Amino acid sequence: MLTDNRNVIKKHLLSCKDVAHLASDYLDKNAGNKLNWKIRLHLLMCSCCRRFMRHLKITQQIAPQLIKKSEHEMDAGFVLQHIKDRTNISQG
Amino acid sequence: MAKVNTTDYCNEQVLIAGLIAGDDCAFCEIIKRFQHTMLIVARAITGDTFADDVVQDAWVAIYKNIAKFEQRSSLKTWVMTIVSNEAKARLRRESRKVSLDELDGEVPGSYLDGANFTSDGHRSSPTPSWRSESPEELLEEKQLQHCINKTLNILPPAQKAAFILRDIEQESFDDIGNILQVSAANVRVLVHRARLTLLQVIDRFQETGTC
Ligand SMILES: [Zn+2]
Repeated sequence: MLTDNRNVIKKHLLSCKDVAHLASDYLDKNAGNKLNWKIRLHLLMCSCCRRFMRHLKITQQIAPQLIKKSEHEMDAGFVLQHIKDRTNISQG
Repeated sequence: MAKVNTTDYCNEQVLIAGLIAGDDCAFCEIIKRFQHTMLIVARAITGDTFADDVVQDAWVAIYKNIAKFEQRSSLKTWVMTIVSNEAKARLRRESRKVSLDELDGEVPGSYLDGANFTSDGHRSSPTPSWRSESPEELLEEKQLQHCINKTLNILPPAQKAAFILRDIEQESFDDIGNILQVSAANVRVLVHRARLTLLQVIDRFQETGTC
């Protein structure tokens, strides 16, 4: 199910699909030096992946803010009363 | 109930002191702050059926044990770990295993497995251009906000939880791994898949103005 990066590391030149697989590791600075260098080399040569990487970075930046903006209200007092009722029952 | 003064609770030490003192306002504050994410974590571990129960059990455990909180992690990480433990315990009680595959099912049209690449790893077509690459402009788009939230809610539960814990709650990959009971490497893959799906939402929005 999950992708193993070891095969990618062995490769001399990365494909666009490899770069797409590794893009978050690259942006999160989790790729490691060697892989980082290979990704940068690919980006230097490939305008499609440069654009993709730019778009992923924007996604990473704006999606959390768009999600936070939609946070809904809840009745915390009601939840608290429920917790207290259950605590009393289980202690009593 | 006393009037809630939320400003004090921006300071975690003040909040924790309030919780230990049994202050209702402090509890309401953490319920507002964490309840939603707790549900998402519970769903990622047990699936939908038991998630509400698990969160209720977790709240009771938090209420009873807050005095024992030693602050070796942040309050949020401690709370999420309790949810995770309650969820695990629930699965054991129900003697039902939920596999990560079930919770991380493929989203149809997934970026890496879809038609975006040829068999030798080249792109089938160029990366689409965007009308706007300005984050400030995109953040003002109400329709995009709607599309992103709609898609977030149909992500597989483990992906949604990993994404929210990482990109919104800013937890470390290791802590998320402990909370969701997967390796940090698997957390990175889950987060990446969620980001790619959201990227495709923006692609579509840029092209059509809709979801
Ligand atoms: Zn490329």
